[in-house]
Amino acid sequence: MSEWWDYGLGDLLLFSPRVYYRLFETMNTTWALLVAGALVAGLIASGLALRHGFRGNRVILVLLALVWAWCGYGFLWQYYQPINWAVPYLLPGFALQVVLFAIFAARPLPLRFGWRGDLSCYVGVTLIAFALIAFPFIGLIEGRDLVQAELFGSAADPTALGTLGFVLLSRGTWRWVLLPVPLAWCVISAGTLWVMDQQIAVLMLAAVWVTVFCGWLDLKNGVTTRRLTEAEIRD
Amino acid sequence: MSDFDRRKFLKSAGAVAALGGLGVFGTGANRHAFAQTGAANDLPRIIQKTIPSSGETIPAVGLGSWITFNVGNDIELRDQCADVMSAFFDAGGRMIDSSPMYGSAQDVIGYGLDKLGARDRVFSTDKVWTAGDGAEQIAETSDRWKVAEFDLLQVHNLLGINENLPLLFRMKDAGQLRYVGVTTSHGRRTEDLIAVMKNERLDFVQVTYNPIDRKVEDYLLPLAYDRGIAVIVNRPFRGGSLTERLEGQPLPEFARDLEAKSWAQLILKYLISHPAVTCPIPATTKPAHAVENMAAASGLLPDDKMREQIAAVIGVLV
Repeated sequence: MSEWWDYGLGDLLLFSPRVYYRLFETMNTTWALLVAGALVAGLIASGLALRHGFRGNRVILVLLALVWAWCGYGFLWQYYQPINWAVPYLLPGFALQVVLFAIFAARPLPLRFGWRGDLSCYVGVTLIAFALIAFPFIGLIEGRDLVQAELFGSAADPTALGTLGFVLLSRGTWRWVLLPVPLAWCVISAGTLWVMDQQIAVLMLAAVWVTVFCGWLDLKNGVTTRRLTEAEIRD
Repeated sequence: MSDFDRRKFLKSAGAVAALGGLGVFGTGANRHAFAQTGAANDLPRIIQKTIPSSGETIPAVGLGSWITFNVGNDIELRDQCADVMSAFFDAGGRMIDSSPMYGSAQDVIGYGLDKLGARDRVFSTDKVWTAGDGAEQIAETSDRWKVAEFDLLQVHNLLGINENLPLLFRMKDAGQLRYVGVTTSHGRRTEDLIAVMKNERLDFVQVTYNPIDRKVEDYLLPLAYDRGIAVIVNRPFRGGSLTERLEGQPLPEFARDLEAKSWAQLILKYLISHPAVTCPIPATTKPAHAVENMAAASGLLPDDKMREQIAAVIGVLV
């Protein structure tokens, strides 16, 4: 008589903002070194990705694979899953993202990260900077303690946002396969945050929209399909 | 009662409620009685409501666990929930309600019952919420609460009712369950619930009801009264948004006559005074609020006229 689609978004929110943000406090204090290490990994990857020319591509991909693995196991499984029964259905997406990064890292010609000076690069850099630097401080505006900061590499939201930025900074015909999981996470998380009356939900959705737009623009302009030069390949 | 005229129904019942001490609703059998009985000597006398299908009485306010008890493995927060349960029991409460849908709430209740040694004090109320194997889910729920048998199990939001309701009746027949119920929330699927109420011998239904969401007053509550079905009320404060919006607003003068010291108590008295209502189940994270909610189930209750005044005042303010 009743079916799953009878439920509204509000029905499926099962926890309070108080409990949700305490997850990050507990994780940040319990796994301080790992959390800090994941953030440093993100900073290293962003430093490599923003250089002129194409260097350290495999390193970037391996670092992103590692932070997604830690985020999936550390945050989703250890902390988020006990308060959200939907997490087991979301975890395969994180596992898939790790595998995809690993596959790209292992390919003879991995994705090429680098500054191209087009709109996608500006958006990509903005997303990475926002995820790594600004996102942890958003809680302060909302009145939360810094110890509850959501950090890139451990918390899923900034990790997904930053990953969108990395993908926009990359070149390669198949880079789009790295987008569905972080895009889907941003949409799901935006729904959760919206129901919790958290204004950041709007930014998550804006990131989705602008990433899709830039991806389409790159496709239209041939950015992702243009063959790499010999010099680029040698790098 | 052959027709369900709300005004007539409440007028007759409200006149009895206005007596405040001991009232009996309904005709013939003493199915809808309520009475005030003392808990500890220093506590207010808690109004007890009768479960029509058995004659058993339970305190007229229970404890919900949606959102508030879903705190995961955080020991500090689990202890806070146990403090809420402790305050609730000490104030004379018994019914605690949960669901497999509520994340870790069932585990947290089990933790609290362990910590307080309160399994003999709780009226355990949970739900089956699956389109799959209901028996397996109920077994998991029992493990989480660490109780062998539940007092009441309900089909949550009518999900899988064609399989789950017969399962619950079989459990009741086998002596593994005391009461069977069906729930809805947010006013959805009311027509479906009414159909089930007419066709099945339910002990309980659970519906959303508060001074703003009054749709159930028109037909469902009189039907429950007529068919001897106990009524649990969820979302009495609209998930907290109702009391938040009323915060800071002065209580109406007549609240003093009812010994209501807060909007939460006034709302609960509004609900408890409905003759068909057995037990609202407000959820909270604060022990003081659990005590305040229980205290609403004591003293005088509003009559029909006062109930309308409460609904009107709140309707204007929110």
